[in-house]
Amino acid sequence: MDLLTITGIWISIFLTLAILSFLYDDNPIYKFAEHLFMGVGIGIGTIEIYYGVFQPKLLRPLLEEHRLLSLFPLLLLVLLFAKVTRKHQDWARIPIAFIVAAFAGVKLTGEANGRLVEQVRASMPDLQTLYETNGWWDWDNGGAGVISGLVLVLGLCACLLHFYFSTPHNKPMRAISRIGILTLMLSFGASFGFTVMGRISLAIGRAEALLGLDQPNSLIKLGSMEVHRMTATRWTTVGTMLLVILSIAWLKRRAANSAEAD
Amino acid sequence: MLDLLLRFQAMDRRWVFLGMAISIVVPMLLPFNLPFKVDGRVQDLYDRVEALEAGDAVYISADFDPGSRPELEPFFRTHLHHLFRKDVRVVMGTLWPTAPPLVKPILEEIAGEYDKEYGRDWTFLGYIDGRELAIKSLGQSVRKTYPLDDRGNKTADLPVMLGLDAIRDFDILTSVSAGFPGTQAYVLQIQGQYNLEMASACTAVSAPDYIPYYQSGQLFGLSGGMPGSAQYEKLVYADTPEENRPRLAATSGMNVLSVGHMYIIVLLFLGNLAFFLTRGGKED
Repeated sequence: MDLLTITGIWISIFLTLAILSFLYDDNPIYKFAEHLFMGVGIGIGTIEIYYGVFQPKLLRPLLEEHRLLSLFPLLLLVLLFAKVTRKHQDWARIPIAFIVAAFAGVKLTGEANGRLVEQVRASMPDLQTLYETNGWWDWDNGGAGVISGLVLVLGLCACLLHFYFSTPHNKPMRAISRIGILTLMLSFGASFGFTVMGRISLAIGRAEALLGLDQPNSLIKLGSMEVHRMTATRWTTVGTMLLVILSIAWLKRRAANSAEAD
Repeated sequence: MLDLLLRFQAMDRRWVFLGMAISIVVPMLLPFNLPFKVDGRVQDLYDRVEALEAGDAVYISADFDPGSRPELEPFFRTHLHHLFRKDVRVVMGTLWPTAPPLVKPILEEIAGEYDKEYGRDWTFLGYIDGRELAIKSLGQSVRKTYPLDDRGNKTADLPVMLGLDAIRDFDILTSVSAGFPGTQAYVLQIQGQYNLEMASACTAVSAPDYIPYYQSGQLFGLSGGMPGSAQYEKLVYADTPEENRPRLAATSGMNVLSVGHMYIIVLLFLGNLAFFLTRGGKED
């Protein structure tokens, strides 16, 4: 393990703790990490777009292969920058019209093919096949079966009727509407559960990095002594945590003192 | 009791964060093994990959960044092990500009473990911009969408691309997706149009949106979040002796996940209990 890797681990630990410090309170160390993250993200994105798009799609065809057709996207690109001038900003409407038209067309056909037709078809389950494959309720297959099929159809109809406003919501409609609300609540609950799971998974990832569990516990050389990677990482985490806490306390005290002086 | 619940309601939110930190760190330092079952969605994904034969081709769209690494990297690694173990040709691209620095080293590392040769057994095509338009273009021709691979070679000249051009020429399309553009865009744009055999590994947040695609048959398999990755690890390494297994990141995270969930459930229960009891008190 070389010095560069060790420095990388230190930076990673410092930035993780700096971001997590926001949970205590907003502070300059968090702001520094946030701005650094934004800058690095934009930098990587810019480089990838240059080498992944500009060079192969525009510069190479134009400069090396002399394909004159590539002048057209170049022209659209230039027109897009007309937005920054007051006098010629209307010229930017031309490339924007291309972008909007292309994406609208692509989105429309995609939604019609992939979501509307297929999902409407899937919301009408074949109960006979369901019974033959899973019976009434299959515990081993996530509760698939005739009951689940019926819940899907009835829940879907109730949800749709809940949003049907052309008929007054009298007593039977109110009952159906309540079933619709219940179905929606169940679906929101499932989504919330998955979201919590996702967030805890992310926290686990960072905690593993802070505790040195994300890499093999190999021996690393620190000057003349050798230590296990996990031990070095954990001491670094504790040290950095103290550093961050003390820095935040010092910065807060300084801010309070200057506010008092004003 | 009521006084305690009132104090619980007024508790500083930072105590909640501290409790969550403890419920994550303690199970990591004192590991234990809770059993977990393999979901039908992950089993179907595994079975389809198992049915591939040597020389078959898989296109992987690795659309994730460091923000979703703990959830998706375990699946991504295990999937590559699974494919290379079966001598399947792997072609990988990405629609996320921040993905290449993350996914390329992993692909190179795992291909190296199986002595796979670049260009013959696998290739990385790099990043392509254009979102849905890029996906549409991939549906028509991978070679035209990516005239050059990530190393500057002509894609059409690579032996790994022999007989492969349109996306339907691949036996399987796997989307490892942390959001947009990803699985949903592939399903909407090209899966139905070309009747592709497609699987997805997604973040837990996206899973409820993609489960209907699995139920409708648009996806043949789906791995959702860290539990999906752990289940896939369980299947792929079932016959591998423990000393020969790589570190199973998702499997080791499952116990921590369970403790974290229990903590949230306890908080939800206490929060609701406090709310209803104290609301009753106020009304009186």
